[in-house]
Amino acid sequence: MKTVTEKISFGDSLTLESGQVLSSFEVMTETYGELNSKKTNAVLVCHAFSGNHHAAGRRDGETKSGWWDEIIGDGKTIDTSKFFVVSLNNIGGCNGSTGPTTVTSESGQPYGANFPEVTVSDWVETQKLVADHFGISCWEMVAGGSLGGMQALQWAISYPKRIKKAAIIAASAKISTQNIALNEVAREIIKKDEHFHNGDYLVKGESPNKGLKAARMLGHITYLSESNMRKRFGRKLQDPENKIDTDVNYEVENYLQYKGEQFSKTFDANSYILMTKAMDSFDPAKDFDNNLVKCLKRIQAKLLIASFDSDWLFPKEYGLDIQMSAIKAGIDSSYIELDGDYGHDSFLFYSDQYASALKNFLNSNG
Amino acid sequence: MDNRLQSIVLDWIPSNSKVVDFGCGDGTLLRILTEQKSVTGYGVENDPEKINACIINGVSVIQQDIDAGIQNYKGMDFDFALMASSIQCLRKPRDAMKNILNVANECVITLPNFGNWELRLGILNGKMPSSAQLPAKWYETKNLHLCTIADFEELCSDESFVIKEKVYLNRRGSSSWLANTFPNLFAAQAVYLIG
Repeated sequence: MKTVTEKISFGDSLTLESGQVLSSFEVMTETYGELNSKKTNAVLVCHAFSGNHHAAGRRDGETKSGWWDEIIGDGKTIDTSKFFVVSLNNIGGCNGSTGPTTVTSESGQPYGANFPEVTVSDWVETQKLVADHFGISCWEMVAGGSLGGMQALQWAISYPKRIKKAAIIAASAKISTQNIALNEVAREIIKKDEHFHNGDYLVKGESPNKGLKAARMLGHITYLSESNMRKRFGRKLQDPENKIDTDVNYEVENYLQYKGEQFSKTFDANSYILMTKAMDSFDPAKDFDNNLVKCLKRIQAKLLIASFDSDWLFPKEYGLDIQMSAIKAGIDSSYIELDGDYGHDSFLFYSDQYASALKNFLNSNG
Repeated sequence: MDNRLQSIVLDWIPSNSKVVDFGCGDGTLLRILTEQKSVTGYGVENDPEKINACIINGVSVIQQDIDAGIQNYKGMDFDFALMASSIQCLRKPRDAMKNILNVANECVITLPNFGNWELRLGILNGKMPSSAQLPAKWYETKNLHLCTIADFEELCSDESFVIKEKVYLNRRGSSSWLANTFPNLFAAQAVYLIG
């Protein structure tokens, strides 16, 4: 699989939905496969909350493959011997694209808490500029799970003529009240870390790792299903030799401690807050008199909406709700309910039913 | 769905209508209606393999149990609903029909006729009968509410469901003098246009 990692610089200023302006910005991209001569085989994959541009394959020295490695690759569901797959790190992130950790030329300091608020629409705008950079006038498909699925939906709404298919997986047209509440608890935990300093921790050479870790531990619980946790950990006691913390009793505690710890070392706290805010505020119907049907009427792409039965963070009713509105709008849209053991995280993993639906959708006639 | 049923539906359905097909199977009928009648169609199906076939067919499909799912269509405005060979599989066929007629102007329903002589003979033999239309054994059939043509038409009359058109088909899937004259005994299947 031909893989190219490239940081693309955009010199023109970008006015964000909030009205704030980024004078210039960079987007970290990774592509898989080759663009055909007519540039008609391009697929954009959008990452979820804490994902990045590294969607497939495994780099030297890495212990884990890209976040959608089970789906993207030669001969896989999104077949890179056929399609040119573009993945990128959204702005506001912390994996190479312009975000809170980026040092601004004006101040010589990182943006930190001053990084402007970004929205799903803003991400779609920057992704459109990336499409222009590659000379792609129309995506064969835009796909993503969770917050990535929201981007796929926003693409279909924002640029009806530039996308043929949208795969909206484990996502919703707006998140649940419960989800906003969980995000707020996570933000609160980060902000109350003594090293947060109202978001200006980088200039002080500090990082609110404890807060970030606890926030991620909470998040992790919401990404998994009760049955998955039960099957995977049960009430097994943690082997004393591999305890991360002496207070840990059960395996599940150790697991969460480990995951939280790892995450807090690699993710930026301001990015965390900004990404959750983008998720909370996503509501494309708000520009259409809060009428989702009216909003979806713009869409010319074919939609595939997929929900997982064990997902309680983005319950399947939310996917079905998009589908019902799509029917009222009279647009081409299918809805499937998949068995997934992993709760919300199911969208990351291969299963026969999931993969064949996505593959058949991608390969069906536009 | 066989060719005869297909051509009946093609005949009844207006061009450019918005259609919902409850129990759409692999989506073949919807694909044909889209190609030949330019309909905007949605299929409702609950079998993952058939859903995949719909996606391959390029047909819009919603994965749902029809019994539970029909509730979600309130307030929708279809020109046409199709219920081909699945009305007898629903838990509450009468309520389902009411719901369908609330969301669609017209509805096509096909019915395997339990009054057909072949099935009556089966009963006389003291066994649960089977036929080409009703091949499953009693212990694995999905049919919950089998009825005869007489039963169904009585229900339509009681509930003021207007039968606008009807076609009786014999065991070979064609119209015949016998099936038309004594449908309850000689028709194996009935196709109704209800409004």
